[in-house]
Parts: sequence; structure tokens; C-alpha cells
Amino acid sequence: MKVTVGLFFGGRSVEHEVSVITALQAYENFDREKYDVVPVYITHENEFYTGGDIGDITKYGDIPALLKGAVQVIPVCSDGRLALIRRNPKRFGSNVVAVLDVAFPAVHGTNVEDGALQGFFRTLRVPFVGCDVMASALGMDKYAAKIILRDAGIPVLPALKINIKHYSAHREEVERQAAEEFGYPMIIKPVDLGSSVGIGFARSKEEFFAAADEAFSFAQVIIAERAVTNLREINCAVLGDSDGASPSECEEPVTAGDILSYSDKYGAGGQKGMSGASRLLPAPISDEQRDKIRSLAVAAFMAIGCSGVARIDFLMDKDTGEVWVNELNTIPGSLSFYLFRPLGVSYTAMLSKMIELALKRERMRDELSFSFKTDILKGQRGFKSGAKGAKGAKI
Amino acid sequence: MLSLVVYTLFIFLASAAAILRQEHMFQLNSYKPRVHLKRTFTVQLSWLLRPAVALLAVPGLIIGGRWRWLSAAIAVIALLLCMPPKNVKKPLVYTSRVKRLLVTSGIITAALCFLPLILCRGVSFLTAIIPLLSPLIVLLADLINRPIEKSINLGFINEARDMIASSPELTVIGVTGSFGKTSVKFILGKMLSAKYGTLITPESYNTTLGVVRTIREKMRATHEYFVCEMGARNRGDIKEICELVRPKHGVITAIGEQHLESFGSIEAIKDTKFELADSLPAGGKLFVNTDSPGALDRAQAKYPGFIGYGTLDGSVCRYFAHDITVSDAGSHFFLRTPDGELEMNTRLLGRHNVVNIAGAAAVALEMGVEPLGVSSAAARLEAVPHRLQLIKNSRGIVIDDAYNSNPAGARAALDVLAGFYGLRVLVTPGMVELGEKEDSENRALGEYAASRCDTAVLVGARHTQPIREGLLAAGFDENNIIVTEDLIAGMNAAGLRAGGGRAVYLLENDLPDNYL
Repeated sequence: MKVTVGLFFGGRSVEHEVSVITALQAYENFDREKYDVVPVYITHENEFYTGGDIGDITKYGDIPALLKGAVQVIPVCSDGRLALIRRNPKRFGSNVVAVLDVAFPAVHGTNVEDGALQGFFRTLRVPFVGCDVMASALGMDKYAAKIILRDAGIPVLPALKINIKHYSAHREEVERQAAEEFGYPMIIKPVDLGSSVGIGFARSKEEFFAAADEAFSFAQVIIAERAVTNLREINCAVLGDSDGASPSECEEPVTAGDILSYSDKYGAGGQKGMSGASRLLPAPISDEQRDKIRSLAVAAFMAIGCSGVARIDFLMDKDTGEVWVNELNTIPGSLSFYLFRPLGVSYTAMLSKMIELALKRERMRDELSFSFKTDILKGQRGFKSGAKGAKGAKI
Repeated sequence: MLSLVVYTLFIFLASAAAILRQEHMFQLNSYKPRVHLKRTFTVQLSWLLRPAVALLAVPGLIIGGRWRWLSAAIAVIALLLCMPPKNVKKPLVYTSRVKRLLVTSGIITAALCFLPLILCRGVSFLTAIIPLLSPLIVLLADLINRPIEKSINLGFINEARDMIASSPELTVIGVTGSFGKTSVKFILGKMLSAKYGTLITPESYNTTLGVVRTIREKMRATHEYFVCEMGARNRGDIKEICELVRPKHGVITAIGEQHLESFGSIEAIKDTKFELADSLPAGGKLFVNTDSPGALDRAQAKYPGFIGYGTLDGSVCRYFAHDITVSDAGSHFFLRTPDGELEMNTRLLGRHNVVNIAGAAAVALEMGVEPLGVSSAAARLEAVPHRLQLIKNSRGIVIDDAYNSNPAGARAALDVLAGFYGLRVLVTPGMVELGEKEDSENRALGEYAASRCDTAVLVGARHTQPIREGLLAAGFDENNIIVTEDLIAGMNAAGLRAGGGRAVYLLENDLPDNYL
């Protein structure tokens, strides 16, 4: 009996297209001796499709045609497994399209990577790969992540959180505050977006306002932080869970401008997603720096409470060698498989390990009891006679 | 003519209603024909008066003419009398088997009712007896359906066998023994879950069909271990289950005298339980409870390389539980393993539970579960309800051992009681279902209990007489024996003797739920 894995990708996110690439790249690498993989595409409207050519990356040039040949399904909780049933039932025959033992979200961005999809799977009681709801949410919110990491003694750059209402009323004051706290140059970015969308560099007051306005078109809350001059970016991924995790090789992404942009990451024939972007792998840093970054990556992974694979992006000051955690990606592009390959860990082995961790987490959760014996529903008399709440009801 | 048709229709409906009721009773009698017949004509006899009313229609049918309408009316009355009542404690469950039986019964009944009408009107009056024949019709339908049921079961068995065969990664561990197998299975399931996806056969499913049902309904691709409890009534029963699930490893929890009548001899019991050992492949591990003499000597004689576990003799077991202490919080002991000493804590009481935990731990450790996972699973174990279950309530401390079914377990429970401080009260109706040995075993229980409790509440004067004799023979003070027909009153009386101090009650053997 093979374990049936549902590979979910797409979603109502700015990184929808990148996630299709990440997922279908992974699709080719599962251990087919152990796993049957069912690809499930989530459209921009959060509809679920499977079957047909959904697993074929070459058919995604014409999505309407692709969907016509596929089946729209509704995920349903079915005795600890996830059943995908037809949205438009057939009159004869079974309407169950697939039954999944474990869900594998390969999605990026807000609405999917931030715990929303994870919570959905949790409600459906199916084990799922990757970070749980809390860690996903923390990983997505750059400001919240900073607080947790700082509390765990991990170096992060101080940031100013700005919300859109306050900014609209007090632009000048906000700029002044930021200038006083950090000075120029500054980085302005949405608090909860990924793939470098909406990030701006500000060297002056005018640029500050321009970057803030741009960022606010993507999010209600943005952050401003000091930009590290003489910057190097080093990334490191971590694979494991709260019981134990191991770091990958370090990479140094290559940028065309001041900061790594969306087009740096995926443009210029970005069909291979993150794995095709330019990088120096392994990163040209000293052994001491490499060890420091790798252990900080694991510490950050543990502080947030991650599971599966996450990529931690670091900022390094070229002159002083000082290192800060910039942000965390709980579902990194291409699942960062290319960072583990140099260490001899195959993509196939990585995927198997991630699935095992998901099953292990579900087993641990099954040991807990989520119901509590109570009599508060007995003898209820309805709420019309003055709402007393559960504590006031006569039992 | 019309009157005859109307009559026949209603006699058919009355018969159908009677059949439905008989079907319900058959289900409650576990589909056993002999039991069903016996109960129909004894306990359920009064109900037969209802279909009997139909017989009053006979005169009207014989006279003929307008009188047939009277018979039709009587048939309607019979139907109303045979309708199933609204509020039933345990209603009929419409399983597939029941549906098949109802179809067959329906066909037989319809044939009996309508054929005379069609073929030979003169004998129509005979149909009045059909509602009364309903018990026999149901049994006939059961007989007719047997080949179908058998082939359906065979289909299920083959399906289960295929599911096991298509899971070469699944490791099956068989657990058998005269007693302790359910406990060891549960504990082992919890310990293996610390590391692996684990399936176990639920509480009572230790027959071939029970195992088949577990596999078909509960087995998932994510399961890595299957702990299969194997029960046996006769030789070959365990071999049959082994052929189905193909265990890699096996556990023999004890050899005792349970079901001695159906096996014949202790040697036969050993042969049967060790059928599990015989089914293991090369490289499979056999775990044996060395505290059980019957298990130990057979293992030593024929199965070298077995892995022993126990508490009595450290030289014959690889996993030895020692320095066992018991308190209000449960039990504490050390388990000696090939890799060192493992400290274990558990809420469970009783030496036999320590042995069960040691056995499960031995298997789990050999399967690669980390020692910390094993010991923390032990610490989280909850007692199976009514098996040496520790309950703290307003009375004090109650050790609920109501489901214990054997003398050895009763002695172990008394040992546990002996270790508590406070007023120690034994509450028991005596042991049952021990055949010839019942009186002597109860007497022995009384003798054993004399030094281990302060007050004895004997529920049911007649049956507990041997216990009373045993207690007195061992020097127990007669004033400390309370004989009563009412359990609660007895416990209250005992409780008064504690004065304001603490009382510990041991509820031993076969006491119904609603008494607690």
C-alpha cells in the first residue's frame, strides 16, 4: 500500500505562478515506490482542481484549457484522511476522485503560506507537510518574526512598524521618526509578502515616501529598517522539526541592483523558479562565518517552531562581518532542494523526510485529547429568557 | 373471493411483522439457532400469544362465504398485535447480514401465504398458522443463507490477505497467551506509536473475522506496525490467523488454565499458543513471559533464541523488571535491558501489569523505539476500565477490578490491596465460570485474602459461602465479614468501620457497571 500524497499548489497569492513551478518540480522527485502523488491545483479564486493535465508543467501556458480537462473537487474530511469529491457530482459511479493520507502544501505567499491553508488542513484533520499554523503565521509576518527571534537571542535589525491609516494622517511625522531611529539609507517593505514584491530602497525623504506608497499598495502594514550598506546576503535552509533539525549549505544570491528583486529571482527565463536564479553555491565565506550562520539558522528555525524545510535569509555587513536574520521562508522556492544537494541529500530523500515528519506530528497530536467531559449542554432551556451564557445556565 | 384475498394479504403482513420481531431477537441472541430456539420457548414464550391470535381466523375460513370477512378482520388484529413496539432498549441493527436474512425470510413467508391462494384455495385456512411459525422461518432462512454468508466472509478474508500482502513494509507482531494479551497489545501499541504509525486490533477483535474486519476497516498506508491480538478456542485457531497476517515477531504472554475444557490439557494449550512461534519466519523474534512456568519451559525446550521478559528470575530473561514498588500514584520499577537500566513509572497497579509493561517495553525497544519514548509512553498509560483501575472518589480509594476473570488476577489484586494503608476492604461476589473448580478456587481466594484485607464484603450469601469458609479457615475474624445482597449497603457498612480514616476498596470480579 502506498501512501497517497496530495500536492497542493497555486492559490490566491502574488506568488501563485512561482508555486506552480516549485510544486511540479517537486512532483518529479517523489519516491514513487513509497508514495502515490496526486497534484491539486488551487486557482486564484481558491477553487481546487485535479486530474487531467494538472501535473504537467507544460500545460500551464493556457490555464482555462487546462481546467477544462480537469475535475473541480471539494476537499472533505473522511475518517482521518482527505477525500476529494467532485464539485459537480456524476449520477452513476463514485464521486470520490481521490483519498489522500497526507497533504503537501507547496504554496508561496500570503493567503496560503501564512497558516490559512495549514489551518484548513488541520480543520479537515489530515496530516500536512511543513510548518504548523502558528509557525507559518509567524514566518510570514516579518515584524512578529523579529520579536520572537530577538527574544531568543538571535540578531535582527530593529524595525519600525507603520500602518496605512496612521501613515496617511501623519506622513511627515512617520518619516521623521524613521530617519531618527535608523537614518538613511532604509529598506521599506510590506510586513507579510514574499518573493521581494513591494520592496523599496530609500536614500532620501522623497524616496521614502515613494517606497512607502508602493509598499502600501500591497499591504496594510509595512516596516522600515536600516539598510545595511556594503551588504551581502547569505541564505541557509534547515530541515527537521522541534526534536532536531540540520542546516543546509550556505548560498549567496547574486543581485542585479541594490536588492534582490523579483526579476533577479525569477526573471530572465525564470522558468526554473528559485533553483534557476543566479547564486554562488557554496557561498564564499570563511568556515567560521559558515558555522555561525548555519547554527543561527537552526536556532531561528527552532525559535519559530518550524517543521519540514524552511529557508532563513541573512544580511551580512561586508566590512564588519556582522550578521542578522533578515527573514524566514516557511515554504521556500523550490523547497531549497538545491541547498541540500551539495551535502549529499537528494531531493527524493528530502521529500520523504518531510512527509515522515508530517505523519509523526499527526501521531503526536492523536495522543492528545481534545474533548473535555462536561455537562454544560444538558438541561439547556434556550436563550430567549435572558442570555445567561453557559455559566449561568441551570444544569 | 375478495375476502380471501384481503385475508391472505393481512396474514402475510402479520407474518412479516412477526418475522421482523424474530429477526430482532435472533440478532440479540448472537445469531445462534440453539440459543434462539431455547429462549423463544422459555423467556420469550408469552410473546407467541400475539401471532397465535391469527388461529382464530380458521373457523371463519372453513365455514366460508361472508364469514371470511371476519377472518380478514382477525388477521388485521393479528397484524396490529405483532407490530414492533416504539421504544426498544436495543433496536434491530440493519446490517447487510440482517437484510439478506429478511429477504430470504420474506420470500419463504410470501410463498407460504400466497401459494395456497393461487394453487389450492381449499387449504388457505392453514395459512393462519404462519405468524406462529415465524421463529422457525427465521432459522430456516439462516440455514439457507449460510453458504452465501460463508462465501462473503471468504471474500473478506481474501481481501484482508491481499491488503497485508501488498504492504511488504508493514511489520506484523502477533500477541497471544491465556491472559494478558489484551493489556500487552494496548501497551505495545502506545509504545510503538512513539516512533511508528501503528495499528492494533481493538478490544475484543481477536478472532480471524475480527482481525479481518480490523484490517479492512482500519488499515492505512501510513501504518508501519500492526499489533495483532490472537485468541484461540481450539487448536489451529492461531495458525489460521497467522496464515492470514504473516507475523514477523510474536509475544507469548502466559500459559494458564483458561478454557481448559475446550482444549483438553495444558500441553494442548501450549501447543496452540506456540502455533504463533511456529509461524514466525527466520529472523523473527519470539518474546516470552518467563514468569509463566508453562510458557518458560516450552520456550526453553523448543525455541532457543527466545527473548525473555519477567520479574521473577533475572537469569532467564533479557528484560528483567526489578525493585518494584507500589503506591497511591501507581507502580515504579527498573527494567534491566541489554543497553542498561531503564526507570519506569506508571499509573497501573499490580505485578502482572508490571510484567505486561516489561513485555511491551522489550518488544518496543527491540523494534528501535528510543528508551525515552518507551518510558514516557508507560507514564501516560491509563488503566483499562474495570481492570485494576485506580479511582479516587468521595468514598476514598476504589480499586475497580470488576472485569478480572481468573484466580491469578484475583490474587494479584489482593497483593495490590495489601500494599495500601488505611482500612482495606475486599468487595466481591465471588468468581464465576470456573466449572468444577469454582468452589475450591473461591475457598482458596478466601484463604489468600485473609491476610491481605481488614474487612470483607461478600455480595450474595449463597455463592460466597466458600470464600467465607476460606477466610475463617485462615484465621480471619468473623466480625469483619459483612455478608449482603446489596453491594452499596455492604460498602457503606464497611466504610463506617473506617471511623474518619481512609478506606481502600477492592472491587473484585464480575460486578455490573451501574453498581459504581
